[in-house]
Amino acid sequence: MEYPAAGKLPPGPFAVRSAPADGTRGGGPIPESGARSASASAREVIGLARESVVPPQAAAQPATTAKPQGAGRARLVYPGFTVPFILLICCFAAWGSAANLTDVLVGVFRHIFTMSNFESALVQFAYYGAYFSLAIPAAMINRKYGYKTGVLTGLGLATLGGVLFFPASRMLEFAPFLVALFVLAAGLSILETSANPFAIAMGPEESATQRLNLAQAFNPVGANIGVLLGAVLILPNLTPEPAKLIMTHDQLRASQEADLNLVLRPYLGIAAVLALIWLMIALRGMKTPAEATQETGEARGGVFGRLWSNRHYRYGVAAQFFNVGAQVCVWSFTIQYALDVVGVPTSKAGWFLQASLLLFLFARFLMTYLLGKFRPTLLLFLLAALGVGLALIAVFTQNVVGLIAVVAISFSLSLMFPTIYGVALQGLGEDTKFGAAGLVMAILGGALLPPLQGKIMDQVGTPQGFIVPAISLALVAAYALFDLRSKRHGGPLVTEGAH
Amino acid sequence: MPTPYNGARMPTSPRRRGGSLGQLVALGTAVLLVLGLGACGDKKERVTVGLIVKRNTNPFWVTMKDTAQDTANDDNVKLLTAAGTSDIDNQSQVAAIRRMTKEGAKGILISPANSKAIVPAIERARRAGVTVIAVDTPTKPRSAVDALYATNNLEAGKLIGRYAKAKADQRGIKPQIAMLDLAPGITSGDLRHRGFLAGFGIKDGDPRIVGSADTLGETIKAEDAMRRLLRKHPGINVVYTVNEPAAFGAAQALKAAGRSQDDVILVSVDGGCDAIKNGVRPGVIDATAQQYPENMARLGVDTLADAARGGKKPSGYRNTGVEIITGDAAKGVPSKDVAFGVRNCWG
Repeated sequence: MEYPAAGKLPPGPFAVRSAPADGTRGGGPIPESGARSASASAREVIGLARESVVPPQAAAQPATTAKPQGAGRARLVYPGFTVPFILLICCFAAWGSAANLTDVLVGVFRHIFTMSNFESALVQFAYYGAYFSLAIPAAMINRKYGYKTGVLTGLGLATLGGVLFFPASRMLEFAPFLVALFVLAAGLSILETSANPFAIAMGPEESATQRLNLAQAFNPVGANIGVLLGAVLILPNLTPEPAKLIMTHDQLRASQEADLNLVLRPYLGIAAVLALIWLMIALRGMKTPAEATQETGEARGGVFGRLWSNRHYRYGVAAQFFNVGAQVCVWSFTIQYALDVVGVPTSKAGWFLQASLLLFLFARFLMTYLLGKFRPTLLLFLLAALGVGLALIAVFTQNVVGLIAVVAISFSLSLMFPTIYGVALQGLGEDTKFGAAGLVMAILGGALLPPLQGKIMDQVGTPQGFIVPAISLALVAAYALFDLRSKRHGGPLVTEGAH
Repeated sequence: MPTPYNGARMPTSPRRRGGSLGQLVALGTAVLLVLGLGACGDKKERVTVGLIVKRNTNPFWVTMKDTAQDTANDDNVKLLTAAGTSDIDNQSQVAAIRRMTKEGAKGILISPANSKAIVPAIERARRAGVTVIAVDTPTKPRSAVDALYATNNLEAGKLIGRYAKAKADQRGIKPQIAMLDLAPGITSGDLRHRGFLAGFGIKDGDPRIVGSADTLGETIKAEDAMRRLLRKHPGINVVYTVNEPAAFGAAQALKAAGRSQDDVILVSVDGGCDAIKNGVRPGVIDATAQQYPENMARLGVDTLADAARGGKKPSGYRNTGVEIITGDAAKGVPSKDVAFGVRNCWG
């Protein structure tokens, strides 16, 4: 049987409208997943695909696609691959944890180093900047050495990033932590690019979707664990801010060391997990099959020209940039809103971010259902408008109602990434792969917008900073409106890579 | 039979099949070990410490009590607490000292409701081997206790005096100052008053002070006093208030007189959450000197527990910190923004 190249997939099993039901960032349907897709798509864009463990069809299938043939009868994994698959699941959870622990770190570093919101937001700049920067190199590694090497490289680099927290915590400087985060995120970017097809390769094609869904289901679990680690292990144990006011220089330094050790522990934990997974995968000596070559054979210049002239696509990239930016902004500064505006104690502030993630997860499932009932861009418009309203409430109420609004923005964010992705790529045909790469590289919004919000928070005030996600979501709403008012009919959406 | 791969080789099984469970157990153990690293500290000897505040209802004392309890929980300390029924209830505090001494408290933190009348009870406790630290309010004499942990009220006054002066200069106004004080003879009020004048660079009797009144730190009394002062001196443009309830009273009177909050520099002392959120943040109060009852409690419990375990006995005075909180910083006067004030306010 011949499988079509992913970019040439016809409507049907490959073009499913439902939004993926998995969770938060890092392998879920949003930024990190975007990075993953960015890497995967970039690999295809630059014509690097030579070897893969993934049959094109399986790789193209979205996590929530229709039930595959014989899925009920096929084994989940090949004999002897149970433990490797469990290890890979740990990878999905690990990068979810690392990604969302980073949101907590923005506030934690501001506290430890007594720095501005702008400076602390550089944490996200380093993290998402690494994801963005590594997209194409990750694709090259996978192309040249295969997915297993990609997984091992990603694990190794991410482990190194986690370990680098140790010298960073001894140096008592912010910059070494940014370096450590960059290395960690670079590793996770490569890992994400490789892990999905690697998971698919671990069993029969018939259960590929089931396997991928199962693996991706652990990403939101990891994401929630990441925030939980911050909420339980770090935030409640930080040196109280007033106590620092009356400390001597030596006492202050000692308290900084103690606080940075709190940060160190969960990252060393994540590094230990990743290192063990690396060892186990490396020692098991798994062989991987060769990938079928997928060359589109088309000159890229023409594709870019066509994409650029397509307003749905061009505006879609911009909308995705602002969507990812808004999401990272909101999650980066939820804790600060709780602390600075409402006066929630540091020990309890992390729970509001936790609530945001749980709400996001719940809304994901709800939207999966609703997307089958309503036109996706109508839902996108309504939720983006809701997000704008909630962000403005956060700007103007400046009390616990504003905090609840900040948490509730996560509800409106839930369907945005996969919906914008699908709408922007709709009808691109053979240009889909190229288009996907640019679209998901819009993750850059997660690196650039948080520092902007931080700057406004420093200059004007913490609540006023939420004007950044408000404007960003307004632009997403404008994109939805553009699609609704266009003559193009809302047919099946492309969801490949949009998980 | 389904074809799993299109033109691709089947992945071979792993070389080693045994030990899978062991590997996963090792993985889990490693995670737990790393995450648990440092979670187990030395178990300290359990000691008993007492805290006696003026009232249980005032947010200032509630914050102090809550922080003391959290600190005690973290430090394996049994905390005994007591409070008077009013700000001047000495009898309840005397009874509490006696009871805590009997119950084996090795140290007591007390905020005296009556600085002189409490001294005999404190001396009895100290003779019984109890270390006593006064918090927030000193005893008379100060030497009646081992140590005093309190806000430096003189410094608090100086800071807002400097701020008011800098703002007046910045706006180019000729100051007409109203002083809304506490009451004669109360140390904290006197110190704040003197500090403000020193910070502004003037002395009592300076012609720039157009009027003053005692308010007992209450909103209604402050509002009445401010109305009276405004009738006599409608040009008042700098208002010193001894605490934030008095500041809110002054603000109401200014508003009733049709004065814009931008025309008057209103400063205060305390740093309670209500004042930071509803006074400083909207600009009703231009600046306030924030004090930190949680530092008094945390330092106090830690120090007494340490002394009870054979550590150094506390002595002398310890400043528990004071910072200006403002949404409109004045050049040359160090201050913190409203966000800092909200994070660290009490109540």
